[in-house]
Amino acid sequence: MSGGGKAALDPDRKAALESWLTGQAGARSVTVIDEGRLSGGAISLNLAVTLEIDGGPLSGSHPCVLRTGSASGVSASLGKAEEAAVLRAVFAAGATVPEPLFIGADPAMLGAPFYIMRRATGVAAGFRIVKSEEPRRELARELGRQLGLIHRVRPGVAGLEFLARPEPTAALQAVGDFRRWAGRYAASDPVLAYGLRWLERNAPPPGDLVLCHRDYRTGNYMVDGDRLTAIIDWEFAGWSDPMEDLGWFCAACWRFGRNDREAGGIADRADLYAGYEETAGRRVDPAAVAYWEAAACMRWAVIAIQQADRHISGTEPSLELALTGRMLPEIEMDLLRHLDAVEAAP
Amino acid sequence: MINDDPGARDLVAIALRSFREAILPVVPADQRFTALMIANALGTAERELAAGTGAEPALAAAVGDLLGETGDLPVLLPRLCAAIDSGRFDAPDRQSALRAVLKDITLARLAVSNPKRLSVEQREPGR
Repeated sequence: MSGGGKAALDPDRKAALESWLTGQAGARSVTVIDEGRLSGGAISLNLAVTLEIDGGPLSGSHPCVLRTGSASGVSASLGKAEEAAVLRAVFAAGATVPEPLFIGADPAMLGAPFYIMRRATGVAAGFRIVKSEEPRRELARELGRQLGLIHRVRPGVAGLEFLARPEPTAALQAVGDFRRWAGRYAASDPVLAYGLRWLERNAPPPGDLVLCHRDYRTGNYMVDGDRLTAIIDWEFAGWSDPMEDLGWFCAACWRFGRNDREAGGIADRADLYAGYEETAGRRVDPAAVAYWEAAACMRWAVIAIQQADRHISGTEPSLELALTGRMLPEIEMDLLRHLDAVEAAP
Repeated sequence: MINDDPGARDLVAIALRSFREAILPVVPADQRFTALMIANALGTAERELAAGTGAEPALAAAVGDLLGETGDLPVLLPRLCAAIDSGRFDAPDRQSALRAVLKDITLARLAVSNPKRLSVEQREPGR
């Protein structure tokens, strides 16, 4: 990621932030160099900042990202202080994620809760990641290993008490959420009605409950050359079935046009699965992954509906949000194709 | 309301053409994403205005066959949703008949929202 160049913090807020950071860092002074908005995220706002810290344990210059919420979010997303707590837990578990340094839970300072994390190098843009002659097998394997590490965080870990457990099972909680978010559309769009019905009737029995990223896909990790530098965008994290993240990663909607490479448009599933089994301490269940791939299409469909609603309701007029609503037919076609394949399987 | 000529479809079409020919080539790099979204939105609006309700009678007939009813598409679709909810399409053969019609409905929507994806679907129907 690189800075957009335009200053994004107004002078009063910048001064308040510097004074707060000085206390937080136990420093003599902190200067925030505002390097402008970073691309990415319809839900969050990311600013490139460099912290010049004078004194205290973090004395020195730190390229960082300041992440804060936008005017309206979607129902499933965590607040920024909670998101930072999740990031802390997975950083402690050894996953390759940006280290969160400061958490500003008080909305008064910048207008919304925020946190500051170290800035990773490299690119995240999906269409660039999938552009390679040969499949990126080692990258897929590493992403599998990383997911295995993330899934070692289990309910009961300190600091994540605010995350609710799914009821009655991860799958049925998910379908219930989808049905609620789909709202009136589930009564007029038969693809949604069918997808919801299928997910309810085919829900797998309850299994392990682990910390899932719930947006683990190409586009949400950063790569510098061939090296994975950071798994980002943790705002949807929660307790769920570990196969959910694998299904989301492999779902047709996240292959960026590379349908021949079923693991996120970068490689075969086998590479991702092998890496996962190295670190997770459990086997991949392909039938459960197939279920969660159907759930992935449905989840993306209802998120698109919600994004469009932010525009339609007048809360946040936006061309990008409006156009997201018109992605529904392609998402639904992915769902129908996937259900064709699942139903045809022996 | 009396609408004068040229109509909405014509206006959107010529606005999109002018935008593509005169504006898009000189848009600065940092505004290019927005410019492409504008072209995309105008293109979708133009196709929607051009398509009108032309695809509806055939789709209404297909949905009507599934339900054993007749009617216009806007009336039949909520009924189809209710029938799905009540389990009338749970059996495997009913599901596959349902999916075939749902795909036809979705293809008609793709023709408006994403003609590129439509052509991929038509090229590799079994994908």
